[in-house]
Parts: sequence; structure tokens; C-alpha cells
Amino acid sequence: MSKEILDPQNWVDLYADMMYRFSLVRVKDPEAADELVQATFFAALKSQHTFAGKSSEKTWLFGILKHKIMDYFRSSKKHISIDPTSNEETDRIQFDSNGHMNPKPISWNMAPEKAAENSELAQILTSCLEGLPEKFRKLFVLKEIEGMSSENICNEFDIKPTNLWVILHRARNQLKLCMESNWLNTK
Amino acid sequence: MFDGMMKTLKMTCKDVYPLISESQDHPLPLCDKTRLKMHLAICGLCEIYNKQLDMICKLAQSLGKEEAKVREDTSMKPEVKEKIKKWIAEKS
Repeated sequence: MSKEILDPQNWVDLYADMMYRFSLVRVKDPEAADELVQATFFAALKSQHTFAGKSSEKTWLFGILKHKIMDYFRSSKKHISIDPTSNEETDRIQFDSNGHMNPKPISWNMAPEKAAENSELAQILTSCLEGLPEKFRKLFVLKEIEGMSSENICNEFDIKPTNLWVILHRARNQLKLCMESNWLNTK
Repeated sequence: MFDGMMKTLKMTCKDVYPLISESQDHPLPLCDKTRLKMHLAICGLCEIYNKQLDMICKLAQSLGKEEAKVREDTSMKPEVKEKIKKWIAEKS
């Protein structure tokens, strides 16, 4: 197999939009996404000599971008806990006196394995994610989108395992309700 | 034994509901897993909820990929791109 080479002059045309969207799904703020892409290209240019040609140029650039995104999350780190007085952080799903879920879940009429291929549903999840309280969004992104283990999240972001669990649980419930109303409205 | 079985059967939605979310984070201990399965078999609403969380998890994983088909209408501003291109041309 021929060795991969770097071609910085074409980076922006080939990868900028892809990297920008990749960042935006994670950080939400367009300016922060701009900065992450810029910082990645700058870092890549400086460390061209470390490129061994074993992976593709694209994989190498995305590897740097992923590091930059983690740095971004780390830089905004402060002790994360649950605020019992915050209305937007409460569990949106409750139970009525008969022990039934309220509001009742409504079927999305789709096999779970098909969901990942449904671009309309992916689009709805993306916009619902943007509506989450920031700490919910951040932890959900780290856990579900980045695929970090709960243990690593707790260590890196100074959060107790029980708090992480409660936040993820409530984040999922908010996303579920948001997606349910958006998805069913499109039907 | 009988008491244990009764306890399993009497699991309410409220008891099961945290287990559904928890099962997205890590494999449940066998006992909880069994209780959850038994409840889902008889409770349509919890089964819907379980599927929904599963879909959200799978969707989120696919969103994380480099070429996720989301926000395809969004691109970086041309002026930012030009700025970076210029910078790269100067430095390389």
C-alpha cells in the first residue's frame, strides 16, 4: 500500500465543512466550532512531521479535532452537580397515582435498528440536543456521542457517579419527549 | 421463593423505569435484568419507552460519526475558510 501524504493546500476545501459539522454537533456554538476547526488546521500544519502516513489524511485530521474538542470540554469544566431548584433540570417524566408514566409514551412506529439510518430522526435529535440545559447536553454528548465510559467522565469532569446517572437519565427523558412531539408532528 | 416471585411480578412501572435508563449505561445485574424483561413482556408502555431510549442511543452513536448525515445544510462561513486558506498558504 502506498504511503499517505499530506496536502495542506486542499485541507479547507476537502474537510472544513465536514469538520465544522462534526464540531457543531458536539459544541453547539458556531463560533466555538469555527475556532475548533481553525485550531485543528493550525496544529496539524505545525505537526506535519509527526504524520506517519499510516492512516489517511482525513483520519489524522479528525484525530486532532477530537483532541481539540475534548480540550474545549475540559476548559469549561467546573464541578457538575444537580441543582434541585432549577426547573429545567427536573425529571420531565412523572408517574400518576395509578403508577403509570405521565405523559404516556407514544410509539414512534419504528424498529430501533432502523432509527440510526433515519436522517429525519437524526435531524430532530440534533435540534432537541440543542435545547437541553448545557450541563445535560455536555454529559450526554460525552457519553452517547463520544462514547466515553461513565468512569472516565466522572474522573475527568469531577462529577459523582450518581449525579452523572441522574443527569443522563433526565437528559434522555427530555430528549425523548422533545423527539416524540417533533417526530409525531411530522407524521 | 414464592415471596421472591411475587416481588418480581409486582414490579410497577415506577420501579422498572430507572432500570430501563440504567440498562443504557451498563449491563444490569442478572436479577434486575430478569425483572426488567418480565415487566417489559407484560407492559406495553414501558416497552415503548425502552425502545425509545434504545433509538436515542443508537441515533446518538450514528451522530458521532465523521460523516453523519446531519446539518448538511450547514457549512463554515466562506470568510473563515478564506482566512484559514491564506494562513495555510503562508505557513506551508
